[in-house]
Amino acid sequence: MRELREVFFVDGVRTPFGKAGPKGQFWRTRADDMAVKAVRELLRRNPAIPPERIGDVVLAATAQVGDQGLTLGRDVALLAGIPHTVPGFAIDRMCAGALTAVTAAAGEIAYGAADVALAGGVEHMGHHPMGDDVDFNPRFASERLIDESAAVMGRTAENLHDLFPAITRERADAFALTSQQRAAAAWANGVMRETVVPLAVFTDDGWKVAERDEFLRADTSLDGLASLKPAFRAGGRVTAGNSAGLTDGATAAFLAAEETVGELGLAPKLRLVGYAYAGVEPHLMGIGPVPATKRVLDQAGISLDDVDLFELNEPFAVQVLTWCDELGISADDPRLNPYGGAIACGHPLAATGVRLIAQLAYGLRERRGRYGLTALCIGMGMGAAILWENVQ
Amino acid sequence: MADTVFKLNRAGSIALVTIDNGEDYRVPTTLGRSAFASAVSVIDELERGDWSAAVFTGKPFVFCVGADIDEFGRIEDPRDGIRAGHSLFARIRALPFPTVAAINGACLGGGLELALHCDARTIASNVRHIGFPEVALSIIPGWGGTQLLPRLVGPEAAARIIVLNPLRQNRLLTAPEAVELGIADRLLEPVEFVDESLAFAASLSIERSAPDWSELETVLRKTRARIDDAVHGATRAPYAALDLIAGARDWTVEEGYAAEEQAMAELLVNPQAQASAYAFTVVERRSKRPPNLPDAKPRAVQKVGIVGAGLMATQLATLFLRRLEVPVVLRDLEQSRVDDALASIRSDVKPCLATIVDGGTGWEQFEGCDLVLEAVFEELDVKREVLGQVRKIAPDAILATNTSSLSVEAMGADVGLHFFNPVAVMPLVEIARTPNTTDEQLATAWDVVKKLRKRGALVGDAPGFVVNRLLTRMTTVLMDALENGNTVEEADEAILSIGMPMAPSVLREMVGPAVAQHVLETMHAAWPDRFPLTAPSGGGPRTLEEIRDQALAAVADEVQHLLAEGVVGDPADVDACLILGAGWPLFLGGVVTGARTTAALS
Repeated sequence: MRELREVFFVDGVRTPFGKAGPKGQFWRTRADDMAVKAVRELLRRNPAIPPERIGDVVLAATAQVGDQGLTLGRDVALLAGIPHTVPGFAIDRMCAGALTAVTAAAGEIAYGAADVALAGGVEHMGHHPMGDDVDFNPRFASERLIDESAAVMGRTAENLHDLFPAITRERADAFALTSQQRAAAAWANGVMRETVVPLAVFTDDGWKVAERDEFLRADTSLDGLASLKPAFRAGGRVTAGNSAGLTDGATAAFLAAEETVGELGLAPKLRLVGYAYAGVEPHLMGIGPVPATKRVLDQAGISLDDVDLFELNEPFAVQVLTWCDELGISADDPRLNPYGGAIACGHPLAATGVRLIAQLAYGLRERRGRYGLTALCIGMGMGAAILWENVQ
Repeated sequence: MADTVFKLNRAGSIALVTIDNGEDYRVPTTLGRSAFASAVSVIDELERGDWSAAVFTGKPFVFCVGADIDEFGRIEDPRDGIRAGHSLFARIRALPFPTVAAINGACLGGGLELALHCDARTIASNVRHIGFPEVALSIIPGWGGTQLLPRLVGPEAAARIIVLNPLRQNRLLTAPEAVELGIADRLLEPVEFVDESLAFAASLSIERSAPDWSELETVLRKTRARIDDAVHGATRAPYAALDLIAGARDWTVEEGYAAEEQAMAELLVNPQAQASAYAFTVVERRSKRPPNLPDAKPRAVQKVGIVGAGLMATQLATLFLRRLEVPVVLRDLEQSRVDDALASIRSDVKPCLATIVDGGTGWEQFEGCDLVLEAVFEELDVKREVLGQVRKIAPDAILATNTSSLSVEAMGADVGLHFFNPVAVMPLVEIARTPNTTDEQLATAWDVVKKLRKRGALVGDAPGFVVNRLLTRMTTVLMDALENGNTVEEADEAILSIGMPMAPSVLREMVGPAVAQHVLETMHAAWPDRFPLTAPSGGGPRTLEEIRDQALAAVADEVQHLLAEGVVGDPADVDACLILGAGWPLFLGGVVTGARTTAALS
């Protein structure tokens, strides 16, 4: 029987995240150019990895058309100046796009198909509004294969509030406030400097340097959050304040096989312990990380108490709170999203996964922790979780 | 045209200034009056603020292409505009922190002068348009260009860039050339150009050695000789520019500015400057847009036939193959001629194209052609015969002729496509329509010419079309002079003194005396009075001035006939044809304008 190879996360970097739409900092910047910037910065930060050694470039995007079309991994690799001998492809699992790029690339490495792989994602939600050009199969509705609310993520979040009445608007707002406060503190310490690369962008006001996440609201208050109107349902609980805004952003990461780490003298950050994807009812997509987390812990034979850090995506506060309640983790646990989350920085769908991993690596190093978990919920009812071990 | 705005943003402690007109790359950013107002307020902020450095750059693909040529005609006091530029640029030069021009795209004239007033320059490796076209427009780079460039790169390179390149069909520099010459300090990849330019500005340290003035006299002598060769004293601008470059050795920059102002004040009131601006507009804008082109959808051309395998046919086949990238077949009477042509074509194109060109002596190879262009001997019966053969084999093909003077309709072609020799160099193609030309055929002809990257001019099916008709009419004046005792040298000198690029006797040798004579006979057959075969008008030798004035008057008269007959729709079409097809100098403006300019000068 063949042996699989250990896979390491070497490094990850992202662009700042911007508000989707004509007023956002990336409105006149192409999605593939954003990914090129992240990829080139990654190459620059890791000079020990010769670009020609990259076995595959796996980039995720939810909308694979326009400036996110043309099998993105290949397109971006060529645009970034990676030799043409290096192949690439595009991948899609909506919000877990980058996470899936990482596990797909890890599979190539573990199997021996590649020694080093580049994985990441990009989503320019300004250029590609969610659901744009999607042609829903009428059978979904006529045969009631899924609840009609499953197509609108904000409505699935309201469904969670319905299902778990203990998760109130007040708890959601309080979680959002913590996210903003932790993110503001994170920009003052080193984590963002280590994981975010500024880039010059052309705008209606001329060239500017995008260096910050545009959704940051350091001055957020509970009163301010409480005053916001529900966005998806009259009398609902999900607001612009306790959910992630529509976002533009790109990420890129290096993964490498154990022997390649030794051969090239790399200093990897994390060892991939295991990963799991799970399906749930599409109209309750936010619950997806719960079974995914349980499954990956079971696989690895590790208990939740052994995990020192959790980087969870925060499309909606209620979604994180659901995970907390189901797994018995307190919402203000210092192990959970210590640098804030998507409510504060934004969630460019297919790009987010690598942001979580890069921040997890930083956090585990700071805390001298051992195990860490990255998890996301996924549209159409799925969850994703990767378990990592700190090797720094 | 959109107003240019200088837009200031903060990048850390660095001022990042964008020169932007809010349009895409198809409307390049110029420096007009409103641009200056906005630039002044940005410089105010730069002088007031606490900056560590400043970076000037442009919107994507364009840095800045200089003064707004549309404002040429509206200048009340030329000195105002020159002083405004000097004062603005001097303030940039005096800023108390490092300044960098990040040349991200086309950088011409005033744009390059702005860049030269910065401490250093980065340039994106894909930039292909850097230079000073001013002299081609009968002015000089008067916002410090003649003073700062020689101080940076020395008089020899400065003379080449400011004086000689504009006279060589406005040759511009590429980014690597600009770095090689010392105009730019750092060649950067385009992909992260602004980021890397900011980093360059943040750690700027440039050591410059003084330029080498020791060969100035030699440079001046050689450059003057080259100007004489090109314009024969007919325009003042290149000489004035050279004098200013020489002056830069001893003047302070302020004295240099004053000298530029004086020179510009003289040049701008000269009708040549206005004429050049007009001619530039005609060439750059008008000839790209056909005013009377039918709306029909052009046919997709997927196979091209060339009848003939001579010099012209070989050049045409090479051009069609290279630009259209579709199969091309040639036909001539002898296989050896065809083989020679094929060998020459194949050695001239990329390998993947060499395999799709073929030829032989039979007609059947034209089967399936969408377009067949004949380039055989200039004899109506011969052309009629070959076009008839092609029509039998390829009844659906558009049949085109490269005749220079014969009737397109009479030989049975659908449309005229008159290329000029050498095909690779000459930008003009006269597209001649007959009463039988369909809209689809004409639209296809226009589309093909565009894809060949040539400038099309729509003309009527009249003998000689436009260019040959006007040049032949001019020749009748010269023949008249020769028969009355003038020498060939005198006739040449008279025409060169207008500013024409080539002496008529040289041109006649290049075209071939037999061909020229043939064209004349065709013209004579149509209009015997205006195109006499002999010219016994008497009166003895003429002065050079008389020859020149008669030649220009004859051309102007023939233009009236062209317009009256409707061969062209508009005098500007004639001017475009003459400038692009006969090398008519920009500073003459065109024929009608040109006649006026010459009169005003003498």
